[in-house]
Amino acid sequence: MEEEKVIVYDPVYCSGCMRCMTACSTYNNGATSLSKSRLQIVRHEGHAISPLTEEDDLIFDVLTCQQCNQPACVYFCPTLSIKKNNETGCVTINHDTCVGCRMCMVSCPFGAISYDGDRRALIKCELCGGDPQCVRFCPTGALKFLPKKEAHLPKRNHLARNLIQSRTRAIRDAATREGEHAGS
Amino acid sequence: MQVPKGYAGYALIIELTKKEATIEPLERFLADYDIDPRLWLGGDGFITKILWKDFSSPIDPLGPENEIIIATGPWTATAAPQSGRAMLGCISPETGGFGSGSFGWFFPATLKYAGFDVVIVKGRSETPCYVFIDDKRIAFREASHLWGKETGETVKAIREELAERYEGEVRVLSTSVAGENLVRYAVPCADGTSCPGRTGAGAVMGSKNLKAVAVRGTGEIAIDDPRGLLESSYSAVKRFFENEPFLKVWQEGGASTALGTTGSWALNGSMLAENRNAADFPHLKNVGCLNCHNPCYHWLQIKEGKHAGLRQLGGHMTFMTAVLRNLEIQDFGDWIYFERLMQELGLDPASFSVSLSWAVDLFEKGILTEKDTDGLTLRRGDADLVARIAQRVAHREGSFAGLLADGIAEAGRKIGRGSEGMAPHVKGKPSLLKDPKIQALIWSLGALTSPRGGDWLRLHNVYELAFVPEKTDNYPKFIDRTCEELYEQTVRLVDIPEELKKKIFGDPPKIDMVWVKSTKDKALFAAWTEDFVSLFNSLVTCMFGAATQFLMVGFGPTTYSEILRKITGWDMPYEELMEVGERVFNLQRLFNYRLKGWDSAQDTWGDKRAYEPARMGIFKGNPVPWDEVLQDYYAVRGWSPRGIPTRAKLSRLKLQTMIGELEIPD
Repeated sequence: MEEEKVIVYDPVYCSGCMRCMTACSTYNNGATSLSKSRLQIVRHEGHAISPLTEEDDLIFDVLTCQQCNQPACVYFCPTLSIKKNNETGCVTINHDTCVGCRMCMVSCPFGAISYDGDRRALIKCELCGGDPQCVRFCPTGALKFLPKKEAHLPKRNHLARNLIQSRTRAIRDAATREGEHAGS
Repeated sequence: MQVPKGYAGYALIIELTKKEATIEPLERFLADYDIDPRLWLGGDGFITKILWKDFSSPIDPLGPENEIIIATGPWTATAAPQSGRAMLGCISPETGGFGSGSFGWFFPATLKYAGFDVVIVKGRSETPCYVFIDDKRIAFREASHLWGKETGETVKAIREELAERYEGEVRVLSTSVAGENLVRYAVPCADGTSCPGRTGAGAVMGSKNLKAVAVRGTGEIAIDDPRGLLESSYSAVKRFFENEPFLKVWQEGGASTALGTTGSWALNGSMLAENRNAADFPHLKNVGCLNCHNPCYHWLQIKEGKHAGLRQLGGHMTFMTAVLRNLEIQDFGDWIYFERLMQELGLDPASFSVSLSWAVDLFEKGILTEKDTDGLTLRRGDADLVARIAQRVAHREGSFAGLLADGIAEAGRKIGRGSEGMAPHVKGKPSLLKDPKIQALIWSLGALTSPRGGDWLRLHNVYELAFVPEKTDNYPKFIDRTCEELYEQTVRLVDIPEELKKKIFGDPPKIDMVWVKSTKDKALFAAWTEDFVSLFNSLVTCMFGAATQFLMVGFGPTTYSEILRKITGWDMPYEELMEVGERVFNLQRLFNYRLKGWDSAQDTWGDKRAYEPARMGIFKGNPVPWDEVLQDYYAVRGWSPRGIPTRAKLSRLKLQTMIGELEIPD
């Protein structure tokens, strides 16, 4: 039985280059675009819109299909055109029976389903048949294709590192304070 | 002539005087301009050809007849590596001759997704305006309320007005106060991030009352072999990661580390490396333009000192070398503040800092006094003073600021008293090299022969700069290998045919001190790199894929050839691609010759101290044989001793129809 795998995004490593998106659209549509990528990097470019005297953040994040265990799109589809593969966990659209009613789009809590006006088709991430190109093309390793049961690890590792650092700092500060106290 | 896949398919001509926008199918547009896309590709190639047709005699660069040309290429916005770039061209307000510069972030790709390969802005609007390209709908919008706003505020206001539906949907190329006040080296800025520098195009926008061009593009680019393109891009980037020796230091420490690695350059002096190590300079992460695997933007925050908390997406080398070399500012916080300030005001850091540095020279020699400087005591090493003068120049406040704002050559003419002979510029464009004598020939040739004048970026070759006599080898500290080992790898990897390699580096090819100190066949290498740069500027892709750390072991014409075939279906081998680069470079030369009469007399240093004996470096004790070097170069180029492309050369490059009435040697 195939292992259930998902795309995991790690904002710490993302350089915002959107190579995932050009790879996605080129692979799936045969033409390059950002608007028709199944996976969308969202951005806040604080440096571009703030005056010299104000500081702002530069943040990237991702919106894409989470391959849910209880996919709202599957339940809302009136023509039963969306299926979740029990082995791979991948949620796919059958375009032969899809009527384009967009109920899946409405129901998806992640905004991960969109409509390609040129091809008149609803599109979502279907993991490129098991070899997601966004992950393959990510130059920094910010996107990973991990077994669902390990998907939490990148985030947990960052948090653990932060926690250990702040603990170490707190212990060191306390020791310094005690030292100063003893010295006075 | 047929336009293949990979192009967006349309050209946009904006006439500001009449507020008219014309959308032309690319095929018709190219036919009008007699452009065969396979001979010129796009980007700098298209810009050169458009300027050639539209301008055959000198104009006032700040008059309505000048044009702003934005040109993408077949590479732009595709899944090819580093596809976020475009070129912006105009008649340069600083030199009066050819001007173009590369820029990126996401404006160029968005323009192409909107459907346009080329945009030309002509005329002059009566009142301040900006243009909104909303896919194929073009709108002229009032911009009086934006006049006087700096870059960040402008981008923010325009994005709000155009009600972008998600952040970053609308991309904005804007000019700032320096451009509005017609500072001759004002640069536009794309989304407060990427500037086509050294063009002076910010002032051209200002002269046209054009505050900005905004674009929203939701379309797609058809590709000849999409899956093949992905495979080629994948393997190209993989090779890059395997081969690029500086990748790790670059990724971990940012561009400033690169200054550290090259701390032994005669250019910088070793103090840079020490400075970098001592500085508290948190480098948060690298950030890139579209499809970049080797991002050069560094997201930084200054931790301590008077600029504590300052954030900047940048940390670029030009800014740092400019402010350090020319103005002797040592503090990293000040460096980063300077970079941010230049972007916000829309000033070219190189031209500004060189001009100011020259003014300090004049002040120290008594040629300028406080009467001439509006009461300012000019000195180096004072960051606050630099910031104050930058503000004044950008706003043209006072006569001294006005003097600096008119460009170094014009300022020299006005001041007189020997100041002209001390002004470091070529063809009126300030040159970042303060002292070309201590450096290497190839780099200097780049500045002397660049069609836009004054800088070496049209050559982009530092092969001679890693080895410097009298200095120790710094490299093992950074990349675990010595300079010899680095060069052994470099010579092996650089994408030059074996025969040519032997000509340039000897047989067997080798770089050592003997090679560095010799003048033999340096011109050949200089010409090759200029053609190469013109090629990637026409594709358009980024120099940091070809030449991280400028050693050119990244992508070469072989990679370009493979990827371009997947994008367009064109089978253009190595030689044909390099010939495009050569064609573009030669026409730029011819353009300046026809427009301004520029020949060998303009391939000279404004700062006459360049002709004195060198105090250090490879020509220590002797004057650099500039004439000899240039004659070698002209001969390699197939140009006459006056530096003019010959008929034979022009015919070989399929440029014979350009000759017309021109006096061209056989």
